Amino acid sequence: MTRAQPKVTPPVSVLGVSVAPSRYHTRRTLVRDLLPYVAIAPAFLTFVLLLGYPVLLLFLTSGQKFGLFELFNNVTTYIGIDNYYDLLFKSPAGLPDFMTVLIRTVVFMVANVVLTIALGTLVALLLAKLDKWVRIVLTSAMVLAWAMPVVTGAVLFQWLFDSKLGVVNWFISSTGIFGDYLNHSWFATGLSTFAVVTLLIVWQAIPFVALSLYAGILSIPKELPEAARVDGAGEREIFSHITLPALRPLLMMLIFLSVIWDFKVFTQIYAIRGGGPDNETITLSLYSQQLGINQHQFGVAAAAAVIMMMLLLLVLVPYIRRMVKSQEEQ
Amino acid sequence: MSRRMRRVLINGLGVLVAIFFAFPVYWMVNTAFKTQDQFQTYTPVFIPIPTLDNFVRALGAQNLILLIRNSVMVSVSTVLLSLIVGFLAAVTLARVKFKGRAWFLLLVAIAQMAPFEALLIPIFLAIRNGLPGPLSLLPIGYNQVPTLILIYFIFTLPFTIWSLRGFVAGIPPDLEEAAMVDGASRFQAFMKVTLPLLAPGLVATSIFCFITAWNEYLYAYTFMSDPTNYTLPVWLVSFQTNFGTDWGATMAASTLFTLPVLIFFLVVQRRMVGGLTQGAVRG
Repeated sequence: MTRAQPKVTPPVSVLGVSVAPSRYHTRRTLVRDLLPYVAIAPAFLTFVLLLGYPVLLLFLTSGQKFGLFELFNNVTTYIGIDNYYDLLFKSPAGLPDFMTVLIRTVVFMVANVVLTIALGTLVALLLAKLDKWVRIVLTSAMVLAWAMPVVTGAVLFQWLFDSKLGVVNWFISSTGIFGDYLNHSWFATGLSTFAVVTLLIVWQAIPFVALSLYAGILSIPKELPEAARVDGAGEREIFSHITLPALRPLLMMLIFLSVIWDFKVFTQIYAIRGGGPDNETITLSLYSQQLGINQHQFGVAAAAAVIMMMLLLLVLVPYIRRMVKSQEEQ
Repeated sequence: MSRRMRRVLINGLGVLVAIFFAFPVYWMVNTAFKTQDQFQTYTPVFIPIPTLDNFVRALGAQNLILLIRNSVMVSVSTVLLSLIVGFLAAVTLARVKFKGRAWFLLLVAIAQMAPFEALLIPIFLAIRNGLPGPLSLLPIGYNQVPTLILIYFIFTLPFTIWSLRGFVAGIPPDLEEAAMVDGASRFQAFMKVTLPLLAPGLVATSIFCFITAWNEYLYAYTFMSDPTNYTLPVWLVSFQTNFGTDWGATMAASTLFTLPVLIFFLVVQRRMVGGLTQGAVRG
């Protein structure tokens, strides 16, 4: 890349001898060479200090005996992997044991990701088939769901699923298929609370997936499915041999993102029942928060967060690799 | 099945799916405008005779003005801070080839994916201990509203850089050079040519940052203990818990809280689809 540079005339002394033009020039280029580093310095320092320090602190804390006493008296006692041992083999008072929570979190994540991606793909395919006005209506409806703040969604879904006055129970009862649902409490068991949380998450996540995939479908040259159709291919064959392979890279990114998001969900679960009933909807991020902020077992809480971060890295590393690669290709 | 029938069926399905997505939002607004006896019935009222009573009750909540001020102050400051720091880095990344550029880009990408749910504990401990040295003079600490600005700034900075970098890269440098050939200084060329072209990108990025800060719950809930220091999401969740049966007021409050987000979201919606997989903000 060539860049226009302002013309620099070296200062000339009264005697007509040029004064150290070379040194003058060096100083200019030195400033020019340093400038990019000065410009990125605030951001760089933010990442290294403000983000790097908490990450470091997380690992350090996970190896320390760290309760309220340590917090107020500023003492540090390293106890090696004791926190991890406690986490894995002792269940903390008033909370489920770690393995239960871990398995629950993974199952919850998988359910959300599968539903989001499968239904999102179906909606994207539907969008491609709709008449223009229906497509505009559906897109607008999805943007509404997508734009909704997560806390609003959590509050709203409690109203929709309210046992007495909720519109969902009224609707189910009035269709009559499942019998009388009036006064049915959706938040009485963990599984049913999870069902509502999942519906909320999927409801808000499908629009992003569907609209991204629809944009991907639009970028497939129209000649491809047309030619296949001429050759006698059915809709299913067109999907599995043309649409799906074309969408694969995009689909992979969406799956990665969904896994990351759904693995660390906090607000939806916490705002709906605070991990209840009976701690049955506590997942990893709530577990670490409850252990640390509520029970002041900061060391054990940090250990739980470290394990959560390590598991996330399994997905984050390939995702970030793809992200950087696609940016550099631009 | 005839072609016509197929079209009707497909479009009918489209409308059904649209109802699935729009209904909860409609129900929120609908409830917000209902009278007490219209939302407290077993048989739901679909088209209420509108009343503003719920909004009056919601807005009459204690300290609300203070909380709106907190939320606006935190969100706007986050946007400004993120934009200033992010802009410098983004322009440099997009326009200058410097040693270590690829590493910095990687750092931004990693920072963008940092799982903040897992960093709650160390950030809590760091904030509790207070900042070191002269930084301790800043109003950053447990139960101090500006703390949230700092945290949300860290949240949003990577995305700001990533997004602005893309927008700057999209403006050909030739334009600036042409202005400089015509006698403008580098600074003038940037201000008069690049900046106006960058305006949509700046708006879109600001909105992303604003929405992130405006919606954030976990950190605001953890760090603000005094109800006068709450931001609106924390208030909304506790409002719903405290006024559990007053769904009219709760839905009115939810509607008011959602409105700015919805308006902003519609402004940038087109940009969100598209380059979105590059690390989006959900919701």
